Amino acid sequence: MVTKIDVFVAISIAIFVLSLAYITSLGGLGPLPPVDVRDIAYQYLNLTYNPWRRFLTSFALESVTAIIWDFRGLDTLYETAVFYGAIIASIALYRGVKITHSRGGTGLSPIAKTVTRLSFVLIPTVAASVALHGHLTPGGGFQAGSIATVVIVLAIIVFSRYFLPGHGLSKERALLLRSIGLLGVGLTSIGLLLISFLLGVNAYIFQNQAKLDAPLSYPSLVDDYTLGGSLLFFNLSEFIAVAFGFMIVFLLLSVSEEDVREVVTRD
Amino acid sequence: MRIVKALPLMLLSFIVYIVFTGSIRLYDIVTGIAVAVVIGLITANVVVSNPSKAYSINRLRWLIQYVFHYFLVSEVKAHLDVIRRALSPRMPINPGIVRVPYRVESDYAEALVACSITNTPGTVVVDLDKDRRIFYVHWIDVKTPEPEKARLEISELFERYAKKIFD
Repeated sequence: MVTKIDVFVAISIAIFVLSLAYITSLGGLGPLPPVDVRDIAYQYLNLTYNPWRRFLTSFALESVTAIIWDFRGLDTLYETAVFYGAIIASIALYRGVKITHSRGGTGLSPIAKTVTRLSFVLIPTVAASVALHGHLTPGGGFQAGSIATVVIVLAIIVFSRYFLPGHGLSKERALLLRSIGLLGVGLTSIGLLLISFLLGVNAYIFQNQAKLDAPLSYPSLVDDYTLGGSLLFFNLSEFIAVAFGFMIVFLLLSVSEEDVREVVTRD
Repeated sequence: MRIVKALPLMLLSFIVYIVFTGSIRLYDIVTGIAVAVVIGLITANVVVSNPSKAYSINRLRWLIQYVFHYFLVSEVKAHLDVIRRALSPRMPINPGIVRVPYRVESDYAEALVACSITNTPGTVVVDLDKDRRIFYVHWIDVKTPEPEKARLEISELFERYAKKIFD
């Protein structure tokens, strides 16, 4: 049954949407985006892989990765640092909570377990491929790390939350591996700078390829195969950092409320 | 010992890597081998318990034969049957859950039979009792509630192959 109020509401919404669209089209809610490709987008597309402009290109075939880890690499470094900080904060919240593997969990059915065992091989393989081809095809370190995290979630849900720590992947080890990943990101960003100190030449932080006044570059082409210079190292390090970062969070989240409360209310 | 278990997994990982990447240039092969070695070594003890089976050419032959038979014969027959039931105006279904005993030994054989039953339209394994060695199977057309006869109808063929491949 359609009442008068329904009709009134429908007409008001229609008028509101139309006027908002009209105002937007006139530029009332801020400047309108240009119809043509913007200058910065043109530069990104032009320079992602451009052997004729050696001092500006990043020798990758994937613009998004080139933007994320080269043109705007500093942004991504801080993003990674924020993610790392969030994980440190979660660990701090759960301080004192032990993730033991003494009590054996039961998990799901034997069929689910058997099939999941196989995916322990398949999923990380796909993740590694995504990470190692981030400079060539869509994907990269963060995406690969997220894919690999599926294995962690599967292991916790299908087997038990005691499964990973019981097989040598404790929270502490994950934290170590996560830190190694972050260290990889850090070292890659200042790698050329460190080498330049030894050689006594110019270099920049976050330098991928040689610039006019800075002659060092990361390897970009091997036998006409594109390596993307620093992008490969960034993707690989980020892959490790993200996968084990998520692992820590999921391990912490899988601890039961009682166990956490026991520790938190102890003192 | 670990390397013996890891080798077949490395091969599997490498093949998946190359197929997923869709390219076999030097870079893909080198990184593929590195990834396969690492993943194979890490997962070896969790995934493989009896590596000698993985090296048997005979088992591989049965597996390939099964893949062809399963997807080209069993699946097609089951699909046609369910399509007929779905399209028929009388909707000739007689659903129910039956006990289906199984005799395969290893975890992988058990999982293969269960997944084969579930993947064919019309039958779904809803639970299993590992002690009594019974699948509980939801069947779109319960021809018989008798466990042994149901086994003949549903999973006898799958089990015969699963035994040769994994047991």
